Amino acid sequence: VPQKAILLNAIDDVATALTDLKAGEPVSVSLDEVSSEVILREDIQFGHKYALHDITKGEDILKYGLPIGQALADIQAGEWVHVHNCRSEHFGFHREQYGLKA
Amino acid sequence: MDILGYLRPDGQIGIRNKVSIIYTTDCSRYVAEKLYRLFPAGTQIFGYPGGCALREGPLHKITALGNHSSSAAVLVVGLGCEGTDAYMVAEEIAQSGRPVEAIKVNEAGGDLKTIEEGSRILVKLLQHASTVERAEMAPADLIVGTECGGSDATSGLASNPITGVVADLLIEAGGTYMHSETSELLGCADILAERAVNEQVAQDIRNAIKEAEERSFAHGRFSWGYGNILGGLTSIEEKSYGCLAKSGTKPLQGVLKTYGLPPGKGYYIQVGEPMSGTFSGDPEGINQFAACGAHIGLFTTGCGSTTGGLIPVLKIIANPKRMQLIADNADLDATPVIRGEKTIREMGEELYAEVLAVAAGKLTKSEIHGHFEA
Repeated sequence: VPQKAILLNAIDDVATALTDLKAGEPVSVSLDEVSSEVILREDIQFGHKYALHDITKGEDILKYGLPIGQALADIQAGEWVHVHNCRSEHFGFHREQYGLKA
Repeated sequence: MDILGYLRPDGQIGIRNKVSIIYTTDCSRYVAEKLYRLFPAGTQIFGYPGGCALREGPLHKITALGNHSSSAAVLVVGLGCEGTDAYMVAEEIAQSGRPVEAIKVNEAGGDLKTIEEGSRILVKLLQHASTVERAEMAPADLIVGTECGGSDATSGLASNPITGVVADLLIEAGGTYMHSETSELLGCADILAERAVNEQVAQDIRNAIKEAEERSFAHGRFSWGYGNILGGLTSIEEKSYGCLAKSGTKPLQGVLKTYGLPPGKGYYIQVGEPMSGTFSGDPEGINQFAACGAHIGLFTTGCGSTTGGLIPVLKIIANPKRMQLIADNADLDATPVIRGEKTIREMGEELYAEVLAVAAGKLTKSEIHGHFEA
């Protein structure tokens, strides 16, 4: 069965949509021994990420097995994870200094 | 698959067999290109980007490329009054034991006489190239360099992780793998330092990434834009990890700051010598790998770059729309990963098999189309 999202590392907190996905849609991903199915709480566009499980505010959020940023709020499984609720310590919090607009 | 390479006097084994025509100044490029056009089969051409002044970076680069394993013999073409003296370049390359000849337009007597004399030399060198000893090659003898260019969302999700699998498979077989682009590794310093084989290498990669960060900061220019955010990337780190994914998981053996062969096997990051390019951008990246001995380049592209370089380049495309448009230039259709039909591991194994096939002589699309950007 073709997968609608991709899990890049078994320890990741997020999966990435391989196609435009709709709120309410059940999406499953698997990698090696790990598999996860969640019901999406929001629409997730191609290339965007959703949470595979609940994430607590302040926690590192892992993709590729590495921290892409920290949760700005509690995030529930199936929620969209992006700049509104995840920001990186190093560049994200100093983004004006780095000339970043978002 | 049996790989039968070309044995060079310095012990390197090449997967291609060419006579290199090297111009030592922009002023002798015209004649060098005339010679190349007279003997396009079996020759390759590159040279020194500039006029009179001698600069070390580019000089090291053309001598390193002249010593590349694909180079059976060399003809150096100079004007005669430039700092990068043709005889000096020839002497440098001749230390590798391969046949090298040099000719100067000023001394030979203008374009026509240089072309006549140069042609006679090329006939001799091409015949020599056809007689060099063959040697069996193992994956352990291979050096592969990876570049991403014209990246899109599919690069970080599929094509770069796929090349990361090739990195691991090649290094497990005893081979060597490298990439560059430290400016796209911002936020990865700690991760790479942890992968470093010793404290010196850890410090080298931290410094290289710090320099890239300072450069980006000084120019107010990051490899990051609003389009990245619309595309789903949340942070510079996330984008960098997509780029880093092409490095695989093996220990970092060293940071290559000069041209020439890496000091050992395994995974290296290449930072290049400044101002050594003829082209800038992706072909330049490929040729910097070549100057560090790479036999083959892997090029992941979502937007569909078609460029090549002095070595065979495999194009890996995972964007379904682009793949359909640009199949003529693609060497690996990685779209099954994006369609959710194949895993990254499966596609990586296919790409590794393709790399070995190219080493054994299979032509890449970039070679067939004549992309020899230098």
